Amino acid sequence: MEGTEDAAQTLDEELRSLLLPDPRDLPPIPPSSVESNFARYFAPDLLKPGHDQYVYRHANGLCVIGLAPTHIALKEEGGVTAVDFNVGKSDRSEMKVTGKRKRNAQHFESNTALCKVCANGTFYVVRCCVKGSLLEVNNRLIKQPDLLNSSADREGYIAIIMPKPSDWLKIKDSLLSYEEYNKLRGLC
Amino acid sequence: MKRKYESEEWFKDKFSGQMSIKEALRVLLSTPLENHMNVKSGVHSFRVRLTYTHSEALRKLQDRLPNNRRRDLVTVNNGNNLADSHERTVRNGDNHSQSESDSVINRTLDSMSDHAFCELFQLPPAKAFKPCQLTITCCRVPIYIGGRYLKFSRKVSQSRWIIDDERMGEASVEELVGEKVCLICRGDDYKFHAAGREDIDVRMLGSGRPFLVEVSNSRSVPSVVGVQQITEEINNSEQKYVRVRNLKLVDSEAWALMREGEAEKQKQYAALVWISRPLMEDDLKNISSIKEMEILQRTPIRVLHRRSPLERKRVIHWMMVENITGSCQYFLLHLCTQAGTYIKEFVHGDLGRTHPSLGSILGCRAEILQLDVTDVKMDCFD
Repeated sequence: MEGTEDAAQTLDEELRSLLLPDPRDLPPIPPSSVESNFARYFAPDLLKPGHDQYVYRHANGLCVIGLAPTHIALKEEGGVTAVDFNVGKSDRSEMKVTGKRKRNAQHFESNTALCKVCANGTFYVVRCCVKGSLLEVNNRLIKQPDLLNSSADREGYIAIIMPKPSDWLKIKDSLLSYEEYNKLRGLC
Repeated sequence: MKRKYESEEWFKDKFSGQMSIKEALRVLLSTPLENHMNVKSGVHSFRVRLTYTHSEALRKLQDRLPNNRRRDLVTVNNGNNLADSHERTVRNGDNHSQSESDSVINRTLDSMSDHAFCELFQLPPAKAFKPCQLTITCCRVPIYIGGRYLKFSRKVSQSRWIIDDERMGEASVEELVGEKVCLICRGDDYKFHAAGREDIDVRMLGSGRPFLVEVSNSRSVPSVVGVQQITEEINNSEQKYVRVRNLKLVDSEAWALMREGEAEKQKQYAALVWISRPLMEDDLKNISSIKEMEILQRTPIRVLHRRSPLERKRVIHWMMVENITGSCQYFLLHLCTQAGTYIKEFVHGDLGRTHPSLGSILGCRAEILQLDVTDVKMDCFD
């Protein structure tokens, strides 16, 4: 079996020249995959002061829900120590959505509870923010609640929701854009 | 007749199956047509289709069939509208196609008891007073041109992509290649099939990706020179979006051959990657030493709206880092993976839904700026 060095070296000169970029074209810090693929919206003080959440909307309509950097749970001493998806009537982490048509997905309202996060002894409720079908919850948070402290805006996302186009249009105007949110919270 | 002669030996031998009027007519017409056109009939590439329709007789038959069968008739038609082009016409043993309603009628008649049959139909049938309508169409069976294509643009999709009358991307490989082939073959229409696909913003380089163009009713089957002409016209076009190589006329089995290799074969890529910290010597060694690594990919968010939420196991066969002089945080990642691996998600991790990812292996954030396919390892049109 060819060594990997050989396999990569057998790329001919013409191919090589196509692959290598001009270093001068490379930006010092490129946009992240989130910035490039999602439109970022924010819901400050969701039902309660300080409960700031984000909604990252993909071009295909799916919404990733999570805690915004200014959420008070993230400012507590010791940060978030536990995440519990067992809220109200069901454990959100138990649901199984199947198929292209997303059968068995539960339909939630924008103020339905997704989970509780525990920080410094206090429980904070995280809500859907957007009305739609719950496709997935980030159950990695159960074993690794620290993801919320290190990267709440990426690996620490809470859930993925699929709103109907009409439901999205209704809620869109009540959300803040990235710039509006930064201004509001004095992050500029 | 069965009732009258069932016990007789000679009856059992000769009347075991049904023969449709169509078969009888075909047998009757074949010889006079052969003599008239001075040819021989059989399974050949040129088809003459004689369609006889008698709407009144068909309606009468449909009216007489029991109700639930008529419902089947309707659903079969609907189902077949969605079916793949390769399954659209139902074929009986002789490889002659029947229309959908014919096969349903046959099934209904077969499943009827003799008693019920005799009740519904009189023998001999009532005399017909109106003649059938005859339409004649001639066509050639589809021909196939196969080869490999390369895509040099990040704004050209593989297949025609139009949403709400607006074209996405500047062009498509399907149209750039298919139209030229169809034009030179002087065909009515074409279908483009490829062994796998790449995103619109991903270039297809190296040896290229195997593809087939199926041309229907081609009036001019190209010779070796003709195929060469197709290659030149595509490769010398003004916009250098697409190139083809190893073009040749192939037979219909090539389609199955191409599909067969698709899921197993390995693909090789080159990705332009940025990481959130400077690249170290140890990173190069670390990455090169990884062989046959299994990763778990949840359905990427970017396709989750139209695909099943699943967790897919995939294998990264090998990886190699190539430094880019002038940058310590950018590099070229060469990798060879199992078919069906989402490369972009392997690099940026898709919010942790692909694990391990390049970022998790290097312990930092990784982003992918560009992706190119550098090899599709298949023994097809090589």
